[in-house]
This record gives sequence, structure tokens and C-alpha cells, in this order.
Amino acid sequence: MKNLRLMIAAVCLCALGLVSTPARAADSGKELVLWHAYRAEEKASLEKVVARFNAANASKGIKVKTLAVPYDAYADKISATVPRGKGPDIFIFAQDRLGGWIEAGNTVEPIDFYLEDEVRKRFIPSTMEAMTYRGTTYGLPLNYKVVTLIYNKKLVPTPPKSSGELVKVAKKLTDKKAGRFGLAYSYGDFYYHASLMNGFGGGVFGPGTTPTLNSAENVKSVEQVLKWVEKDGILPAEPSSALITSLFNEGKAAMVFSGPWFLGEIAKSVDYGLAPLPTLDEAGGKPMRPWMTVEGVYVSAPSKNKDAAFEVVKYLTSEEAAKMLALEGRQSPANQAVYKDAQVAGDKVLKAFRDQVEVAVPMPNVPEMSMVWSPATSAMNAILKKASTPKAAFDDAQKAVAKDVAGLRKK
Amino acid sequence: MLRSRREGMPHWPLHVVLVGFTLFTIYPILWVLTIAFSGNQSLAIATLPEAPTVMDRLRAITPWPETWSFSNFVSVMTDQPFAKWMFNSVVVALGTTVLGVFLACTAAYAFSRFKFPGQRTGLMAFLVSQMFPGTLMLIPLYIILVQWLGLGSSRLGLIIVYATTSIPFSVWMLKGYFDTIPKDLEEAALMEGASVGRIFWTIILPLAKPAVAVTALFSFMTAWNEFILAATFMDQEEMYTAPVGLRFFVGGFSQQWGYFAAGSIIVSVPVVFLFLYLQKYLVSGLTAGSVKG
Amino acid sequence: MSASDPQQTGDGREGVADRPLPESEAPPSLHSADPRKGGQAPGAPRHMRVLAGLVLALGLVLALAHGLLSRTVEDLTVQREDRRALVSLHALTDLVERAEGSGDAARAVVSAWQDQMRAGSAVRVIAFSGIKLEASTFPEDVGDKAAPRRLAREEKPIYDRGQRLRTAVETNQEEGGARKAELETELLSNGGRQVSAPVEVDGSVVGMVEMATAPQAPAPKPGLGPLLLWWLVPLAACAGASFVVRKQGLRVVASVVAFAVGLGGYAAYSLRTLEHEVRESQEVVAAQLRTMAERAATVLAEQQLPAEPALRPGHWDADEFRRPLGLVSPAGEVDAAVLAERVEEVASGVRRTFGGLAVLGLAVLLFIGMGGLARTVETVVEHRQAYLYIAPAMVGMLVLVFFPFFYGITLSFTDSNLYNSSQPLSDTWVGLRNYVEILGDFTIAKRGSDGALVFNYLNFYYTLFFTVVWTVTNVAIGVSVGLGLALILNVQGLAMRPVYRVLLILPWAMPNYITALIWKGMFHQQFGVVNHVIRMFGGQGLAWFDSPATSFLTALTTNGWLSFPFMMVVSLGALQSIPAELYEAARVDGASRWQQFTAITLPALKPALVPAVILSVVWTFNMFNIIFLVTDGEPGGSTEILVTQAYKYAFQRYRYGYAAAYSTVIFGILLLYSMVQNRLSRATEAA
Repeated sequence: MKNLRLMIAAVCLCALGLVSTPARAADSGKELVLWHAYRAEEKASLEKVVARFNAANASKGIKVKTLAVPYDAYADKISATVPRGKGPDIFIFAQDRLGGWIEAGNTVEPIDFYLEDEVRKRFIPSTMEAMTYRGTTYGLPLNYKVVTLIYNKKLVPTPPKSSGELVKVAKKLTDKKAGRFGLAYSYGDFYYHASLMNGFGGGVFGPGTTPTLNSAENVKSVEQVLKWVEKDGILPAEPSSALITSLFNEGKAAMVFSGPWFLGEIAKSVDYGLAPLPTLDEAGGKPMRPWMTVEGVYVSAPSKNKDAAFEVVKYLTSEEAAKMLALEGRQSPANQAVYKDAQVAGDKVLKAFRDQVEVAVPMPNVPEMSMVWSPATSAMNAILKKASTPKAAFDDAQKAVAKDVAGLRKK
Repeated sequence: MLRSRREGMPHWPLHVVLVGFTLFTIYPILWVLTIAFSGNQSLAIATLPEAPTVMDRLRAITPWPETWSFSNFVSVMTDQPFAKWMFNSVVVALGTTVLGVFLACTAAYAFSRFKFPGQRTGLMAFLVSQMFPGTLMLIPLYIILVQWLGLGSSRLGLIIVYATTSIPFSVWMLKGYFDTIPKDLEEAALMEGASVGRIFWTIILPLAKPAVAVTALFSFMTAWNEFILAATFMDQEEMYTAPVGLRFFVGGFSQQWGYFAAGSIIVSVPVVFLFLYLQKYLVSGLTAGSVKG
Repeated sequence: MSASDPQQTGDGREGVADRPLPESEAPPSLHSADPRKGGQAPGAPRHMRVLAGLVLALGLVLALAHGLLSRTVEDLTVQREDRRALVSLHALTDLVERAEGSGDAARAVVSAWQDQMRAGSAVRVIAFSGIKLEASTFPEDVGDKAAPRRLAREEKPIYDRGQRLRTAVETNQEEGGARKAELETELLSNGGRQVSAPVEVDGSVVGMVEMATAPQAPAPKPGLGPLLLWWLVPLAACAGASFVVRKQGLRVVASVVAFAVGLGGYAAYSLRTLEHEVRESQEVVAAQLRTMAERAATVLAEQQLPAEPALRPGHWDADEFRRPLGLVSPAGEVDAAVLAERVEEVASGVRRTFGGLAVLGLAVLLFIGMGGLARTVETVVEHRQAYLYIAPAMVGMLVLVFFPFFYGITLSFTDSNLYNSSQPLSDTWVGLRNYVEILGDFTIAKRGSDGALVFNYLNFYYTLFFTVVWTVTNVAIGVSVGLGLALILNVQGLAMRPVYRVLLILPWAMPNYITALIWKGMFHQQFGVVNHVIRMFGGQGLAWFDSPATSFLTALTTNGWLSFPFMMVVSLGALQSIPAELYEAARVDGASRWQQFTAITLPALKPALVPAVILSVVWTFNMFNIIFLVTDGEPGGSTEILVTQAYKYAFQRYRYGYAAAYSTVIFGILLLYSMVQNRLSRATEAA
């Protein structure tokens, strides 16, 4: 009997929950839905920007509603909903999935048609490049994320400008027995390695998206890492991101190559500074060029209110919005003008990323990019563990990627 | 005390083994607790000072926060509508349990008590459905549930999906258990003119309580821990379930392990209590079904 | 026909409580359910059955065939009209390209062209530079909307279409293939067609020409006459025959013959219709080509456009990738050989379709004719209570589990991938190619340059081998640890038993996402707890994720940790169900502990452990989370199991069809396993 009562209670609770399903918003006026994967202050600042847009456009009957989606489910959710016309009107996502969605079709709306030249010129040119796929623009860049040099001011008074200086400073600060390192970064992670690879003039795709993993430049770049690890011995083994955070916070890593996500993990006691990645003496003084991830704002292809949606996109990437996103959301806006603003210009962190982005390379937005990660990571591991020579490892990776690319194109 | 009176074999070696295994078992869980109560966000990795002594090493592997803080728990509960998400989870999980157990009970009863063409095939079909890997299932499921049935952004839709995914296991469990219940009782009741439905509700179900409890627990956990479908089907933030809320803390560029650990503990507590509450059934329910005669 | 079956009638209330306990000696009242049961109805209804089967089967099949035929005829008509429009469009595009794609010259070409077009047709030329409407003869583009002007906002789709064509041309050039359509055709709301083609000047796409054709007369519907003829005549013949023939078997044969005649007759009719359609199409297109070539030459001369290179009418009749079809020669003659080929193609399509229809129809015919339907209905009614109990669960499973499952299997026969996932599956059908690719690749290992054996970790058989090792070791560990702990916990009078039991169950209750990551952290080379402990005892830390063996060990530990509680609880339950008296008796008989274990404990455990092992084999085989989170296949994909590999094919390499085939193979392996298992356990039960 007791169980029966329990069950009745459960059924009632369920019924209650089911009944209280909020009624779907009535289609009065133009309600636009915006999806994003931000949280914490990034989310708060975005919502503030949206609220301001809503206030200004209340008379036109345009209202934007936001929905945060957990990052892990976000891409799948877009792929499942948008092409079936059930998704949002506008969404924010990094450029890495852009090519895939364009190829899959009916997901991202091309916006060249709307785009006046003055809007195009708003942005840091390379961020605009990230929004372009096969000659067509699909979104406006909102923020970018890029790897830069983060150093402990107590240990490194002036950040090194070149790789030679870097090694010199780092060597002094390294004491392997005590677990101290001059430099720490996830050098086995291909994303981080890209700054060296691009610095040496290498890359992953040539024209026509043919893989170029085994190019001489790529081999040279990984030889540079090997030199740092083995000959100079300035880097820790198996550098996972959790480890790097711990080392830096305990003052056991003097310098770190990492991006804005790292700043939130730095302990309050550490006085840190940011500087551009050093230039490479070994590559004739050319700068290290990290990959840049650009979060774009896209109009979804099945949206019923594309014109209004584009107005929202334009507002979100305007100077006014960028300032709020930068100062309150701690983001690096792609809008150039905002860096002339006194408050933003005075912000050392924002400034440092802005400086770094000058030499950054947008990460490829072609769908074939997702086939690169796994073979490239394997190659990096094989090289670093001395299981293979750099050339042989990259040859293998090249073969694997070429095979996958061909597999996708086969008719 | 530690000596069994009857056999004279000492119990202490057993305790040594048990304590060893228990430590092995709870050690990772203690780390989760440590991270949750540390007030920090990093996935704790023990680093050592120069020339570490044994004590230093011991400290490094002890899951005990350096400072205790509830800030992670407070942030998790207050910065987002976590309570609302927990409520959604409770509704969905209970709904799944009720629906899943009901469907599984009726089906299992038929498989156990009736003889009919297609019986073996049907039972096999239930087992076989467990074997197809679900990597490509998301989009077909989305099409059926949201496009065809129009159950997007509703708890009912989730309940239906979860209940169906939990049915195969439940049917197998319950059928095994029903098989062990002697048929004399039902026959007697039948003689007295009771209907099959009545027999099922008043005789069989109460007897099968342990197995029902186990399947209920399984159905509950299926719904309680699932994340990707819930995140895909729900289009309003207030409709998310707790696991969806949890995943906000990890993934993407920055991971807030402290929040995630604290959230995990909040989410696990009901399940742990359910386990404790159902323990006595758990042991008999899982097995008695298969121990025939 | 079910009404014609006497067994159905009146089978009502008596069976409401029908045989819930079939094996037992139920009360006699239950058995008296249906007095008529078993009494086979003689002659007349059975012969009606055959006729009814024929009526239905032939009717169904012919209706389907008719539907398909009208669809095909309509498709052919549309195709023909599209080709005609395209020939005209290509000719115009050629001229526009000679006029550099923009400016007054282009406008002059368009207006000269418009003069000769059928009423209701219209043309527009778009230039990408400046997003401009260069020329237009559309009725709405007059007055202040007359060309040239910038496109208005609501005309964005036109511009986007142009960009799509440009991208397609560039992509195909870059990849050296034909992946994206370089021409688009669209059905307009007024029933006309719209065709669009890119304008290429000096090797780059600078604009687009579009042509809207006037609404066409609907395609002629194939008449109902032949349909009725080929339905009723065989029917009448069969009906007549069945009155003459007395034997049921012969009646069935007669109905099959009648069915074949009916379907065959209609097939012949379809074939004729389609062949006629195809041949006529070529004539029409050829005529169009001749006219267009003439016109183009006239306009060329009138407008004084560059005549070099010469016009190439042979390229005007082209497919969507602008490759010439070759059905009509540049001079406007129909190529008989190619045409014959095309006709043969159509004919073989018809034969395949009708073959499929014949199988379907025969199945229906025999099912009804031989009494299968009657028996099925009878079974369902007889066991309706059982089916009623199962139905709700079954419906849910059918909709939400089996449908996606069959979708997955269908997908596995296609080359569906990121690029073509919006096309219908029939367009990407590749048959068994994916399976051949997966199962036919035996390069498991090769000799490296130094003579050492190098495994190909992407090979299916390597992954299968690893998955089997993974499953076997995991289940073995789970069972032995679980059983061992259960045996200890089952010792009578052990102190603190409940505490141990609760603590040992905990891994089961925590979300495994976080515990898996904690375990991964514990295996960190320099700072992980495991290596700290090794160093505490003076050893050297290991780089756990560097070699396949140690990497495997980390995943094994994690999964062992997660899975032993289940086995422990199962064993504990079984142990507790063994009556203590058995052991007492054994002790009295002087059995040793080991003897007690093998003679009493193990046999008692078997029925509980076997299903648990079967289930956990299936679960471990598909244990995605642990591998994905702990080793992620490192190093180099050597610790990938089949499901994670399938996942990577779908979401890293975007080959959905291939991944589906992979999943189906996994399913096949597990199915085989469960069937063998089933056999074995039944064999042992019987023994």
C-alpha cells in the first residue's frame, strides 16, 4: 500500500510537471531566437547587448530571445535542428564547423548580399576571412580567441622577443629535478603547435583543400619543438592543460603559450603579463603565427525573418556592442574600431590579444579540417616519443588525411 | 569479535581485502569531493615541491582540499536555475520510471505467461535492439520525435524516448523474474473468476516487487544521466534537465571543474539515496529472476 | 476476404480470458472457447480466397505500376522541357558571355533574344559585381525597376543562386570532378520552369543568366484503359478457370498464371509508352537545338559579337554539370546508337521495377490465396490478449528504436556523407561497397623499414581484435572481482558488512563522465597519483598513454572500477539465495571448502551470472564513454574500439554511410554472439 501511495504521488508530480509546460511563445511581432554556447560573464554581457537591442527596437516589434546550449551538445543540436527549420534565427559558433554546415546545406545563410562595404571594413581583415567559405561570406565575426605568451612577471621581468631570447630566459628558469620549467605549453597538441607550424610558413591545406601535412616547413617546425624539449630541455613532459595550469599557478612555469581561456584559471596570487609570441630566429626572424578561432554570428538559412536577423547580427558586431562584450564579457571583439576606445585600449589583456591577432592565421573552416586532427595528433605523439622521425610521421599523417579526403569525395 | 565463532577462521584478512578494495573504490570519488569543496576550478593535479619527501608525496596523493569552501555549491545553485533543472530531471526521470516500468511489466508478463507465435522473435528483438550502436541515432530520433510527433521542447517527449530505451533491459529482467513465480496462484485465482488484468495487478506485481524495483532504478538512472538528447530536444533554458545544466561547466575552451564536481555531487545524491533505499531489492531483484527453482 | 472466412465470424466474447496459462491444465471452460476451431471450411470460400487474392494482388501491383508509370512519364516530360529550356539558355549564355556579361551589349542580346521567345517566357542577366540586374525581360522589371539596377532586398535568393553556381563551378574546377550542380532548375509557382546558368568571362564566373519558361501543359496521364484491361481480363479468366477446376492447387496455379499475364501485359504497355516518350523527347530536343543554333547565329551577326570561337551547339544539350549529354549531335541530329542505349537503360529500369512488383504481388497473392492471411488473422484474434499486453511496448520500440535502426542499415548501403546528405538515399546507393571496404581490407600489419611489424590501427580486424580483448578482459575482471568480493561479503557474521556494501556500490551511482576524467588525470605521467605511488616505492613513473599496452591498462582499470559493482551485486544475490543447509550437509559429509565451492556455490551462481555476463559483454563491447574519455584511441588509434571508430568515421571524417556500415557490422557481430550464446546455453540446459 505504501508503494502504491508513492506511485500515485509520483504520477501526480509528473502530471504536474507535464501540465506546467510553458506555453509556446505566441507569434506576436517578430521574435527572433539567438543560440549561443556562452556562460558566466560572456553570457551575461551578451544578454545585456541583446537587451539593449530589444529596447531600441521595441517600436519595430523586433525582440530577440537568447538560449544558451552546452558546448558539447551545441554542434549536434544545430546540425539536427536548423536544416529542418526548427532551429534559431541567429546563432553564434566558431568558424571550424562553418564549412561542414555549408556543405550539408540549408543551415547558414550567405550574407554577401546584405553586406555593405563599410560593414565589411568594420572588422579585423583576418577575422572576416574566417567567415568566408569558397568566396562567399556567411557570417560576421563577433570575437576571436588566439594563443599568446603569458608570463609570470616575478620570474620574467621582460618578455622575450625572439626564440633565441626565449630559450635563454627559459633555460635559466628551468630545474627539471625540482619540477620547474621556463616554458610550458601543450606542444603535443596540434592546435598549439600550429603557431610554430604557421611561423615556419607551413600549413595543413594547399589550394583545392589538398593536404600538405608533410611539407618541409611543417617538418622544420616540429624539429624546433624537439630542440626545445630535448636539447634545451625547457618544457615539461606530457603537458596536459591541467598540468600547465598547476605549474603556472605554483610559479613553476615561468611562461606559457595559451589563450584567453587560461586567464580565468590563473590564481589570484600570480602577477602575470601578456606579450606577443616571440619571433623565430630559426625562420629568419618571422613571427610565430597562432591559429585563431573566430566566433561568428550567422543567420540561419531557414529563418523566416532574415532581414531582421541580419540587423541583429549587425548590431551584435557593432562598436557599441563590442565595447560591452570586451569590457564586461572579457572577450576580444573582431570589431577594429573598439580598440581605439580609451577604456579598451587601456586594457592590457585586450590589447595583447589585439597585437597577437595581427600575425594570427584563421584556422581553416573547411570540413576536411576535422580529418586532420587525429592523424596530426598521432604524428606529433610519435615524433615526441621518438617512435618515428618527423618526416616519416608527417608522411603517414599526410597519407591518412589524403585517404580520408578522397573517401569523402569519392563518387 | 573479528573471529567467526563457528569456523575458527579469522576475519581480519577479509577485512584487509575489503578495506583495500573500498579504498580503491572510493578514491576517485573522494577526488570529486575534494575538487568540489576546494573552491577552485582546476582538475586537481598533485604537484610537488623540490626534493619531495615521502610526506610531501603522501600529501600530494591525499584527496583532501587544502581549504574547505562551499563556494562552488553556492555558485552552482544560484548562478543558474539549477533547482529548476533538478525539478525537470525529477519529473522526467519519474515519468520515465512510471511509463517504462509499466510498459515493461505488461510486455514481460505476456512473454512470461502466454504462449503465442512470435514470442521468441519478439523477445529476441528486444535484446537485439540493445546491440545497435547509437552513434547515428540522434537525427532519426529528432525527426521522429520533433518533426513527426511534435514533441520538441516537452518533457513528455523526453519521457517517451527514455522509457523506450530502458524497455529492453527491463523486459528481460522482469520476464526472468516472472518465470520464477509459480503459476498455481494465478490458476487458483482464475478458477475463482478473476480476470487476467486483476491477477496481474493484485498477485503478480506485488510478488515481483524486487525486480520491479530494480527495473525502476534502471529506468530512473537512464533518464537521470542522459544529456545529449535532452540538450537537443529542449529549446528553452527553463526546460533543460540537470545533466544538461552540468555540461555548461565543461566543454569548449574553459573548464570549470569545481562547479562541475559540485554539480555532479548534487546530481548524484538522489541516485545514491535511491540505491540505498532499494538495496535490499537490488540484490534479490537482479538475480532471483534468473535463479530458476 | 476475411469476411468470407467462416472462422472469423462470431469468434467473440468466449475467448476473452483465453489461455493465459496454456501449458497448465486450465479449467475446461477456458478450453471451450471456440467450438468451430479446426473445422476447415470446404470448397467455395477457399476458391473465393484465391480469387480475392488475385483481385487484391493484381490490383495493388497494377495500381503501383500505374502510379510509377505516370510519375516516370511526368519526369520525362519535365526533363524534356528542362532540356529544351537549357538548350535555349545555353545558347543565350554563350551570346551573353561574348558580350562580356554586362553592359548595353548584354542588354541588346537579351532583347534580341526575347523577340524570338515564346510568350510568357522571360530572361534576366545578373552581374555579381555591384549585385546588379543587368538585363531583364521579366514583366515586373519595368519603369523604375527596369534594368540595370541593384537587386532589391527581396531578390536576395536570386543573387544567392548565382553565388551558388559560381561556387559550384569553382569547386568542380578545383577538385577536378563533378560534385556540385552548375545549373539549377526550379519549378515556379505558376507551373513554369526556371533554369539558371553561370556566365563565365575569361575563366571566372561573373554573373548568371536565368530563364523562366511559360507554364506547360501538364504531362499526359497514361490512360486507365490498359490498367482496367489488364486487371479485369485475367480476373475473369481466372474466375472462369476456378469454376472448372476443382483442385485448390490448380486454382492457385491458375491465379498465378493470370497474375503473370496481367502484370506482363501492363509491363509491355508501360515499356511501349516510355520508349515512345524517350524517342519523341530526342526529336523535340533536336529540333530545339537546330532552331537555337540558327537564332544564335542570327543574333551573333546582328549584334556584331565576336564570332570566334565558333558557337558549339553540341555543348548546349548538357547535364547539370554542363557536360554534353551526347544524345543529339551538334548538327541537331539524333544519335541513334546513343538513343538505343538510353532506351535500353529505360527498359532495364522498367524490367527491374516490374520484377520487384511481381515479387511483391506474388507474395500477396500466395499469402492470401494459400490461406496465410486467414491464419494470421486467426492467430492474432486467438492470442489477442498477449498481443495487447505487448503492443504498447512494441509500438514504442518500433517507432523509436527499430525505425532508426532500419534507417541506419539503409544508410549503410549508401555513400552518404557530408557533401551529399541532402540528396535522397537512392542517389547515393553504392550497394555493398562500404562492407567490402571494411571487411575486405586485410592489411592488418606490415613490415616496417627496420623489419619490425607495424600494425595498421585503422584496420577493421585490428580494431575488432582489440575490442574482443577489451571485452573479454573487462568481463573477466568484472566477474572475478565482483564474485570475489561477493564471496567475502557473504561470510556470515562479518562485521560492517552493510558499510562495505554501500561503499562498494558507489561507482555505479556517480555519473561516469567525471569519474572517467578523474581516472585519466590519475594516470598522468609526471603528476598523476599512480606514478606518485610508484615513485614513493622507489620506482620510475610510466608514460601511460605512450604504448598501446599501458594505455589499454588505464582504460581497463577505469572500466573495471566502474563495472565490478554490478557483478558483485548479482553474485551477492545469487549467493544469498543458496540455503545454508546445503553447506551444513556438505560439511557433515566432510567436503573441503573447495569442494563446497565447486559443488554448491558455482552451480548456484551459474543461472544468475550467465545472463549478467551476456548483458555485460554487450555493454562492454559498446562502451563508448570510457575509451573516448580515457585513452581517446591513443597512441595512434591503437586503443580504439569498434564503436569509437564508427563515431570517428561519422563525425571526424563525415562519412555517414561508411559509419553506418561499421555500426551494422558491430551489430552483426553482437547478434552472432548472442545466437551462439543462446545455442550454447540451450545445449547445456538440455544436457
